[in-house]
Amino acid sequence: MMNNRKREIRLGTTYSFPMGIWLFIFFLVPLLIIILYSFMKKGLYGGVEWEFSLAAYRQMFNPNFMRVLVRTIVVSVAATFFTMLLALPCGYAMARSRNQTLLLALIIIPFWTNSLIRIYAWIAILSSEGFLNETLKFFHIISESLPLIYNQGAVVTVLIYMYIPFAILPIFTTIDKFDFQLLEAARDVGANKTRAIISVLLPNIRSGIITSFIFTFIPIFGAYTVPLLVGGKDSYMIGNIIVDQVTKTRNWPLASAFSLILTLLSTLGVMWMMVSSAKERSQSGKKNPSFRQGGNL
Amino acid sequence: MSSLDPSFLIKAPTHPVGVYKVSKNQVFKDHRRFGFSNIVLVLTILFLFTPLIVVITYSFNSSKGMMWTGFSLKWYAALLFDSEELWRAFLNSFIIAISSSAVATVLASLAAVGIKWYSFKGRQFIQTLSFLPMVLPEVIIGISMLIFFTAIKLPLGMFSIFIAHTTFNLPFVFLLVSARLDEFDFTILEAARDLGASERQTLMKVIVPSIMPGVMSGLLMSITMSLEDFVITFFVSGPGSTTLPLYVYSMIRYGVSPVINALSFVLILSIILLAFALRRFLKVIAASS
Amino acid sequence: MNKKMHFIFIVIIFTISIVFTAGCAKEEAVKKQSDTNTLYLYNWTYYTPESVIEKFEEEFNAKVVLDYFGSNEDMFAKLKAGGSGYDIVFPSQDYVSIMMTLDMLTPIDLEKIPNSRYISDLALSKATYDPLMNYSVPYFMGAAGIAVNTKKVTDYPRDWSIFSQTKLKNRMSMLDDMREVMGDALAHLGYSVNTTDEKELKEAQQLINGEWKPNLTKFDAEGFAKSFSSGEFYVVQGYAEAIFEEIEEDRWDDVDFFLPEEGGPMYLDSMVIPKGAKHIELAHQFIDFIHRPEIYAEFLDRFRFPSSVHTEAMNYTTKEPFYVESDLANYELKNDLGENLAAYDEIWQTVRYTD
Repeated sequence: MMNNRKREIRLGTTYSFPMGIWLFIFFLVPLLIIILYSFMKKGLYGGVEWEFSLAAYRQMFNPNFMRVLVRTIVVSVAATFFTMLLALPCGYAMARSRNQTLLLALIIIPFWTNSLIRIYAWIAILSSEGFLNETLKFFHIISESLPLIYNQGAVVTVLIYMYIPFAILPIFTTIDKFDFQLLEAARDVGANKTRAIISVLLPNIRSGIITSFIFTFIPIFGAYTVPLLVGGKDSYMIGNIIVDQVTKTRNWPLASAFSLILTLLSTLGVMWMMVSSAKERSQSGKKNPSFRQGGNL
Repeated sequence: MSSLDPSFLIKAPTHPVGVYKVSKNQVFKDHRRFGFSNIVLVLTILFLFTPLIVVITYSFNSSKGMMWTGFSLKWYAALLFDSEELWRAFLNSFIIAISSSAVATVLASLAAVGIKWYSFKGRQFIQTLSFLPMVLPEVIIGISMLIFFTAIKLPLGMFSIFIAHTTFNLPFVFLLVSARLDEFDFTILEAARDLGASERQTLMKVIVPSIMPGVMSGLLMSITMSLEDFVITFFVSGPGSTTLPLYVYSMIRYGVSPVINALSFVLILSIILLAFALRRFLKVIAASS
Repeated sequence: MNKKMHFIFIVIIFTISIVFTAGCAKEEAVKKQSDTNTLYLYNWTYYTPESVIEKFEEEFNAKVVLDYFGSNEDMFAKLKAGGSGYDIVFPSQDYVSIMMTLDMLTPIDLEKIPNSRYISDLALSKATYDPLMNYSVPYFMGAAGIAVNTKKVTDYPRDWSIFSQTKLKNRMSMLDDMREVMGDALAHLGYSVNTTDEKELKEAQQLINGEWKPNLTKFDAEGFAKSFSSGEFYVVQGYAEAIFEEIEEDRWDDVDFFLPEEGGPMYLDSMVIPKGAKHIELAHQFIDFIHRPEIYAEFLDRFRFPSSVHTEAMNYTTKEPFYVESDLANYELKNDLGENLAAYDEIWQTVRYTD
């Protein structure tokens, strides 16, 4: 028993510490700098003056910023929702396919082209005389060009496009591990396919769904280039404000404070999701967590 | 040490593992070619490829603008004969993408195994720390790393970019592998040990094969993130270490040249060719063993 | 046995990391070796034609390494945070003066740059922050103007009020640049583009938010030229070289590019040597080389720029510029605003952040 416990600690430590140390040095220390900066006075030309100040936190409560925050939330929720809606069936189909490697490649390869180029391609597709409008006109589906570009609709569409592989991968990885006999069993006892998927498949791939949500929502929330390039005059998002504060306005403390609050909120959100999912798992008693708790082998 | 091979404990057949394996799911029915999920997948892939087709089309356009003015190969000629800097940027991007994603994948996969399977002091801490780089806005990571590197007198260049990229790739691999492990049946491990498998055997024969799809996805994702990153790279790059995204983004004021489109097409073509070549190669190996 | 295995494992991981990082480090070391005759430039993309760079490399038996930035702000954020290793940087006027104030620049020895005698009085009179070229040598002075697609728009005012035209609603864009847009509004109202007068700024805000913004599709500093070329936008505020680059020469007649006579903001990009530069001698040679009339003419021809800072190069140019120096007569350099940046920023927030 005691030996097991010791071995476990040693193994866990050996496996995890390289990454832990890496992150400690190259991420935590820089993060501490940022925390420090948010409590400093803004330097006239960027940077900070070494003088304690809460100005940055006061400046955050500005109705203009709040307006952008609300817009950012609406856009990110919409984009994440549609991304996940597409990613679930995609992950499922990929996991059940014979050509997993090929499909994986098909999902990823478009993303090895620079994103700026791909965003410009979207502008070419969506603009008034663009490919989509011209095609629709050709088939007489519309007679006047639709306003497809430079609005929130375009922002959401391109965001879905940009992040969908990140949503598919975790779902695919977990469904691939799923034991499809369970689905068969559910259907044998009379559940229809949809029912079986909802009550058997989805709960079993919860961690994949959560991961894919994290992979999409968080980057979309901080999106910068997409709203700037395909958005209209009123498409600014939080990511744009933070970049502006660093470069144009040169208010580093405010940018730091913004980032810290965002980080804190998303960390809490993610941890809450992870904890509640772990709880449910142990309640349902499906998996055997005893091994992880150790000592009772 | 027992002569028993613990790998038989995995439900899946043991022949070619990882993403190359024939999915066990084929055994069962309910694999309709035109099922709802297959249709969504095909549509999604189309959705992903539409802009790519536009990119490729423009690479054959005779003018730089968005209006089609006729077929031309001049951007390819420019790419081959007159784009030394572009190639240098591409090479830099490539080196960094490969090295940072390899290191990140190894570190993060190991950490995921350690954290999911063993309990030890600092486990919660590392777990929380591991996904923070994903949450913090890029520009802030960029600035803070720049300040940090300057403070410790680390010269900016390829090495600092490598460190930054590895750092932001870690959470993605870690979460992907963790998600895969979450659905893992832990009794297998106990069984493997009860049967006397050594730690190394357990790792190589049980753990590694079962997390392989997660690791592969993580690797692919890291490469993608690394090839894409502009903001963080901008801040931590130094003289002579311009990467492809830096090169492309800096063209913004003057208009992005279709030479980049041509490069994209060449790149995609070569990946496809490479994949085919490797497939052949893998098949030969599989047949000979 | 187990302990050993894990030790080996860790060793493998670190070997991988070290091999890769050593690869990077080696490259840096190689770079350092051949470093003595290498010039590190930090520039806007394409801003110095490749042919010019090649000629310099050949003549001085040197190697030029180029890195690029997309905006002054980005460049400055980076240089400000710490050592950069660049020998020559090409900032615009406001950032030259900021960098001078912050003591980030190496003084320039004009004796080593005889060609500085060609720098025009106009440019130096505008460069009030450094009229004697102690720290900066002008590279190019220009301004953003208005491009109109004359195939789609025939009757329009040739000044900034074009953006008030409701008939062009949703077919126009202005730069996503606080100083440019506010400068245009201030100039249109007859004020200085550097004003700090609250009342004048308020008026400019009303003009932008009340009359211009409702007609604009977006504020666009990146894709305006492409969108103008494709016919999506009929009227854009932007840089001539970017706009014409996207359009084939046979369509240039359909484009009316002009700098409104009422004036507006303009920029003066200069060459500076940051503190800590290692190749100061070579940097001086490069600056001198650039201002050789025939070399400078090559640069002007490449972009069809007017010879706004050079007194001699126009005798060597072979191409008609997109606009001429005299167009710049009423234009004013955007100065560094210092503390007053906040007042501008507050107004710009109401333009960009609220619907």
